[in-house]
Amino acid sequence: MTLYERRRVGNVIALTLSWIATAVGLVILFLILWTLLRRGFTAIGPGFFTQMTPPPGSRGGLANAIYGSLVMTAVATLVGTPVGVLTGTYLAEFGRGSRVAPIVRFVNDILLSAPSIIIGLFVYELMVVRMGHFSAWAGSVALAIIVVPVVVRTTEDMLRLVPGSLREAAIALGAPQWKVTVSVIYRAALQGMLTGVMLAVARIAGETAPLLFTALNNQFWSTNMNGPMANLPYVIFQFALSPYADWQQLAWGGALLITFTILLLNILARFLAGWSNRTP
Amino acid sequence: MSEFTVTADSPRPPTLPRPVARPREPATATQTTPKVVIKDVHFFYKKYEALKGISLALQDKRVTAFIGPSGCGKSTLLRILNRIYELYPGQRATGEVLVDGRNILEPGQDLNLLRAKIGMVFQKPTPFPMSIYDNIAFGIRLYEKLSPGELEARVEEALHRAALWDEVKDKLRQSGLSLSGGQQQRLCIARAIAVKPEILLLDEPASALDPISTQRVEELIAELKSDYCIALVTHNMQQAARSSDFTAFMYLGELVEFSDTETIFTHPKERRTEDYITGRFG
Amino acid sequence: MDLALSTGASGGLNGRRVQDAAFRGTTRVFAFGVLLLLGGIIVALAAGSLLAFSTFGWGFLTSQAWNPVKENFGALPAIYGTLVTSFIALLIGIPLAFGIAVFLTELCPPRLRRPIGTLIELLAAIPSIIYGIWGLFVLAPFLQSTVQPALIAVLGPLPVIGFLFRGPPLGLGVLTAGIILGFMVLPFIAAVSRDVFLTVPTMLRESAYGVGATTSEVVRHIVLPYTRVGVIGGIMLGLGRALGETMAVTFVIGNSHRIMPSLLAPGTTISATLANEFTEAVSPLYTSSLTGLGAILFVITFLVLAAAKLMLLRLEQRSAK
Repeated sequence: MTLYERRRVGNVIALTLSWIATAVGLVILFLILWTLLRRGFTAIGPGFFTQMTPPPGSRGGLANAIYGSLVMTAVATLVGTPVGVLTGTYLAEFGRGSRVAPIVRFVNDILLSAPSIIIGLFVYELMVVRMGHFSAWAGSVALAIIVVPVVVRTTEDMLRLVPGSLREAAIALGAPQWKVTVSVIYRAALQGMLTGVMLAVARIAGETAPLLFTALNNQFWSTNMNGPMANLPYVIFQFALSPYADWQQLAWGGALLITFTILLLNILARFLAGWSNRTP
Repeated sequence: MSEFTVTADSPRPPTLPRPVARPREPATATQTTPKVVIKDVHFFYKKYEALKGISLALQDKRVTAFIGPSGCGKSTLLRILNRIYELYPGQRATGEVLVDGRNILEPGQDLNLLRAKIGMVFQKPTPFPMSIYDNIAFGIRLYEKLSPGELEARVEEALHRAALWDEVKDKLRQSGLSLSGGQQQRLCIARAIAVKPEILLLDEPASALDPISTQRVEELIAELKSDYCIALVTHNMQQAARSSDFTAFMYLGELVEFSDTETIFTHPKERRTEDYITGRFG
Repeated sequence: MDLALSTGASGGLNGRRVQDAAFRGTTRVFAFGVLLLLGGIIVALAAGSLLAFSTFGWGFLTSQAWNPVKENFGALPAIYGTLVTSFIALLIGIPLAFGIAVFLTELCPPRLRRPIGTLIELLAAIPSIIYGIWGLFVLAPFLQSTVQPALIAVLGPLPVIGFLFRGPPLGLGVLTAGIILGFMVLPFIAAVSRDVFLTVPTMLRESAYGVGATTSEVVRHIVLPYTRVGVIGGIMLGLGRALGETMAVTFVIGNSHRIMPSLLAPGTTISATLANEFTEAVSPLYTSSLTGLGAILFVITFLVLAAAKLMLLRLEQRSAK
C-alpha cells in the first residue's frame, strides 16, 4: 500500500471508531431510558402518589418518599441558593485583585466534584451525632452543601457575562455599589442564575449517598423534619436490592419518576439558557 | 511649508474637506468663571502614563469637544471627571480637577453624589434591564423622595428633553431593551439628564448609531447646551465642528491645542492639529 | 438639583457607605464560609478517623483484614477496589469520550451538533443510583451470559493477563463496576474534551487541512497537542468522579472485602463499603475505621481534583494570551 492509501485507511478507521463511540454513548442513554420506561411504567398509577411505602408483599405507593424528597430538595435549595449567590457575587464583583478570591474559587471547584458520600459523612459527624438521631434537617443540610458550589459557579459565570458598560452606566448615575449589583446586575443575569439553580436542583434530586447517614429513611408518613424521613433515592436503594417483586416494581417506578424529572429540569434549564443568550 | 519634497509624481494623501465650524459668539476665558478647571492632570494605568499633564477649562453652558486619534487619551480624560476609573484597581490620577472651585480628586469625597451631579453617556447604548419608565426613574429614586405623580412628571420631562417622548409614551412599561439603537441611546441621555446634573460627559454618543439617529443626537446636544456644561468626545471631526464651542485636540496623552472651535478648524496653531484635521493621520 | 459635594444631602454619604460596606462584608463572609466548609470537612474526617489510625497505625493502609467481630480492619481491599474500578473506568471511558469529542467537533453535521451534544450531557445528569439499578438488572445479566464467558474463554488461557479473567462468570464484580463507572465518566470527559477541542483556533485547523491532512491526522497532530493540558485536566476530573461514585458501584460490585486477582471476582470500594456498612457499624472502632476510609478517599480525590484544576487553569491562561 502506498503511503497515501495507508493514511486514507487509517483515517477511515479512526473516523468510523468516532461514529461508533458516539453511537455507543447514545445507545447507552436510550437503553437506560427504555429500561426505566419498560419496567417502571406499570408501577405508576394514582396509588403510586397517594399510598405509603408498604411492607413487603402488600400493595402501596411512594407517597412518603416523594414528599420527603420534595421537602428536603426544597429546603436545601432555599438554604443553598442565597449562600451560593452571595459567594458568586463576591467572586465576580468584589474579588478583583483580591488574593482570597482565587482560593475560594479553587476550593469551590473541588467541593463541586467532591464525593457526595463524604459530604454525608461530614454532616453525620456535624449534626446527627450531636443531635443523637437522624433527621430530615441533616439530610437537607447535606443536600444544601452540594447545591452551594453549583450555584456559586453559575452565578459567578453569569455575573461576569454582564457587560462592564452596564455597571459603569449605573455607577455613573451615582448609584451605590450594592444597588448597582442588586437592581441592575442581578436583573441582567437573572435568567442565567435561574438556570444554575435548576441545574443544582436536578443534581440533588437524584443524590442518594448524602442521605444515607443523615435522613436515613422512614416507612411511614412523616412531616417531622427532626426525625428520619423517607426519600425516593433511599427507597429505591432498599427496594431494588430486596427479593420482593412488589418492592422491586415500586423501585423501578421511583427510578422512572426521578430520572424523567431530572432530564426535564436539565432540558428546561438549557432552553432557558438559550433564551438568555438571545437577549441583546 | 512641507518638510517632504513633494513633486508632481509623489502620491498625495487624500485631503478631506476642512470641517466647517458654525460661526458663533466667542466665549473667552475671562467672560465667565469656568465650570470645570483641569490642572496638570496625569493618569496612570498601572505603570503606563496615559495622560501627561493636561490643563484646560470647561465653560458652563457650552460644549467642549475632544478630538484626536484612537488611544490619545480623550476618553480617559472624560472618565476622570466623574472618577469612574476608580472601579478598576491599578488606575490612578494625579493633579487637580476643580468643579465649581472644589477639587474632586481629593480623597474622602462622596463619589456617588459627585456622579449624580455629573452625568455620563457611553458609546454603546446601555439601557438597564427594566422598563423604560424604570430606566429613567432609577436615577431619580436614588436621591429624591417623590410622590408617584411628581416622579411621573420628571420622567416625562426627561423623555421630552431627550426627544424620545412621542415615540415611547404609549409603551413606558415595556423593556428598555425593546427599543432600537438610536432610541436606546436617547433613553440613556434621558436617564442621564433626569437627575438634573450640572455637567454632561458624552463619550462618542453617536458612534454606534446610524446617520439619522446621529443627527437627532447632535440636535439634542445643541438644545441641551443651554442648560449644561457639556464635554463631548468624538472621533467624527465634522460632528465636533458642528456641535461644539471649544475644541481640544489631544495626541498620545498630551493636550496639543485647545481653543474655540472656529480657530481650531480654520487656522490651527499647531502642525499636528492641522495634519489631523486634514486627515493626514488618524 | 443643587448637591453640596462635601456633605451628603439627607445624610446619604454615611448611610450609603454603611450599606455598601455591609453588602461587601456579607458576600465576603459567605465566601469565607466556603473555605470554612472545606476546613470543617477535613477536621471532621481527621477527628473521626483518629481512633482507627491510632489503633492500627499506618498498617491500616496495608492490611487486608476486615473483621467486624474481631474488630480488625484494614483499608487495602477498599483502596484496591477504588483504584482498579477507576482505572477500568478510564480505560473504557477515555477512548469513547475522545471518539465522541472528535465526532462532535469534526464529523457531526452542524445542525445535529447541539442536540447530540445535549444528549451526551444528559448522560451525565442521570443519577448514580439509576446507573446502579440498570447495571444490576440489565448490564450484569448481559455480561454474565454473553461477555464474561467469552472473556474467560478467549483471554483466560493467555499467559500474562489470563489471571485477570479466571473464575465463574458472576455478572457482578470489579469488571462490571468498572464498566458502569466508565459509562458514567464518559460524558464528563467527552464534554470537557469537546469544549477544549473547540478552543483550537480555526486558522490552525484550516491550515492543516489546507496542506492535505486527513481529519484524523489533524486531530492527532494539531488538535490533541494543542489541547493536551486541557484534555488531561478533563480526564483527571473524570477520574475524580469515578473515585467517589457510590451508588452505581454498590449495586454491582458484589461487596466482598477480599482482594482477588481476577477482575471477574467481587470486590469493594471505599464508597461502597461506607454505603453498605456505615449504619450497621456498632462499635467506635468500626465507625472510626469507616471514617478512616472516608478520609483516605477524600485525600485521594482532593489530590486528583486539585491537579486537574491546576492543569485547566494553565490552559485558560494560555488561551487568554
